[in-house]
Amino acid sequence: MSKELNLWLDDLLKDIKIIQFKRKNSRRVRIDISPEALPALLELLQGRASYVHLSAISCVDWIEEGEFELVYHVWSYETNSLVSAHTRIARDPGVYLSVYDLYTPAAFFERDIHEMFGVYFEGSPDMEKFILTEWNGPPPMRKDFDSEAFVNQTFNWEEYHPQWLKDIEAEGGGITTRPEDVR
Amino acid sequence: MRPENYEAIKQPPSNEFELNFGPNHPGIEGNYAFRVKLNGDEVLSARADAGYLHRGFEKLMEGRLWIQNIALVPRICVPDPVPMEVCYSLAIEELCGLEVPERAQWLRVMQLEMSRLAAHLFAFGGHAATTGMYTPMFWGVADRDLILDRFEELTGGRVYSIYNIPGGVRRDMPDGFLDRLESLLDYLDSRLADYDNLFFRNQVFIKRARDIGTMSQEQALKWGVTGPNLRATGLAFDVRRDDPYLVYEKIDFDVVTEPGGDALSRNLVRRAELKQSIRILRQIIKHLPSVKGPVRCPIPNPLAWNVPAGETYTRVESSKGELAYYVVSNGGDKPYRVHVRGPSSMHAVQVLEKLAVGSRLEDIAQIMFSLDACPPEVDR
Repeated sequence: MSKELNLWLDDLLKDIKIIQFKRKNSRRVRIDISPEALPALLELLQGRASYVHLSAISCVDWIEEGEFELVYHVWSYETNSLVSAHTRIARDPGVYLSVYDLYTPAAFFERDIHEMFGVYFEGSPDMEKFILTEWNGPPPMRKDFDSEAFVNQTFNWEEYHPQWLKDIEAEGGGITTRPEDVR
Repeated sequence: MRPENYEAIKQPPSNEFELNFGPNHPGIEGNYAFRVKLNGDEVLSARADAGYLHRGFEKLMEGRLWIQNIALVPRICVPDPVPMEVCYSLAIEELCGLEVPERAQWLRVMQLEMSRLAAHLFAFGGHAATTGMYTPMFWGVADRDLILDRFEELTGGRVYSIYNIPGGVRRDMPDGFLDRLESLLDYLDSRLADYDNLFFRNQVFIKRARDIGTMSQEQALKWGVTGPNLRATGLAFDVRRDDPYLVYEKIDFDVVTEPGGDALSRNLVRRAELKQSIRILRQIIKHLPSVKGPVRCPIPNPLAWNVPAGETYTRVESSKGELAYYVVSNGGDKPYRVHVRGPSSMHAVQVLEKLAVGSRLEDIAQIMFSLDACPPEVDR
């Protein structure tokens, strides 16, 4: 039963021109698809091919190409196989459609991606801040976000030289920093 | 008489009030908070508030060498760290096309099951504490410590073992390790009856936990529930059996289900999985001496290791559910992107928010512990 369904998926998707279909092994399939067609593909996979479990939505920032790659990993409990649907959207303005109406777990992943990458999902129920509640910097998971530069800009370095350290230094000990590590 | 522009001041009904539950509360696992709206002690709505444990793992990983991240990943989930190491290593092995020696695979499965035992002992102990029974918690933690002793002997570390590396495991086990593991299993086996008498068949627990946080199988599938929580709704699905990795195909074990879908069923599934893990470990003890060979395959210089470009999605079954890593390499010496799909990122946020509605305030802690939610997996 499960094998037949898997092959059925191969036959079905290989004929569609806008889809690049690649079978990695018996339980992993990679699909590359344009962003316009992705929601329809997910609807097909969920409604007709039993891919009811959205395992994750991953976002990758391809800064040199100016694109975000969104990867939807869906799993079928009936055929025991995972389809990873890859799509690429423009980095600017970084807006895409939510798939919350198909998959409830999408709300969490979309909220997370919105927070970390700044991609806005139209139709997602909740785009509020979640993890970075008191954060007002740029989305930190973007490749152009430099953690160290942000810290230097936002916070001050404090001189820390307490008495106990001075006592140790008077005896010839203390913290040694290599010259190249001095900020 | 009221003027024409009169508008009554809008305010919530006086019987409703808001309560901040957490981030530092014995009824919450880890540092995590809930804003609950209450009417008396009935929960009207609950909203998860994360971020108290955010350490930016995914960003940190992009700035470190592939091998350095091995020391970082187990910290994502404190009670059950081994699946993190194994899942990350599996991803690198798939990208590099490394063939892990069979002995290393058996050693990995051994650690995974030891870790599962330790995590389940911790989880039901925590649940017992939320119902006011502290003795099972003390017993669970004390018995977990015996497993940590074996971890210390095998790996040098008690909680974060950092024993799995891409290509295998760090070193072979010490002499006589399997004998000591077997006597530990004998002890744990004998303890199961005590746990039953003290906790799992205790009417205090059964009456408190039955019909608390109930979800149907349809709801569980819709909300993305995985692992023991999904099996507690009657669906026999286990990544170990249905999407096998390492040598799980060669091991005989049952996927235990319970029909209820409530806090009681979830705990009974964990209780049955303790038994199954012991069964798996006994098979490993029997089989492992006959598997000879190296414990890791040759890998390039780890400090100058350029992993071939590509992407992979690896999944393992952790004690909390489906754990997955999406790893992208651009051919460099550091990961280009690592996305961690912690099982609790569903359970601790959406599922818990939904299950809490309509329950009573004192049951939120029970629901959270019965889902075995692990907030660091949400925050990452």
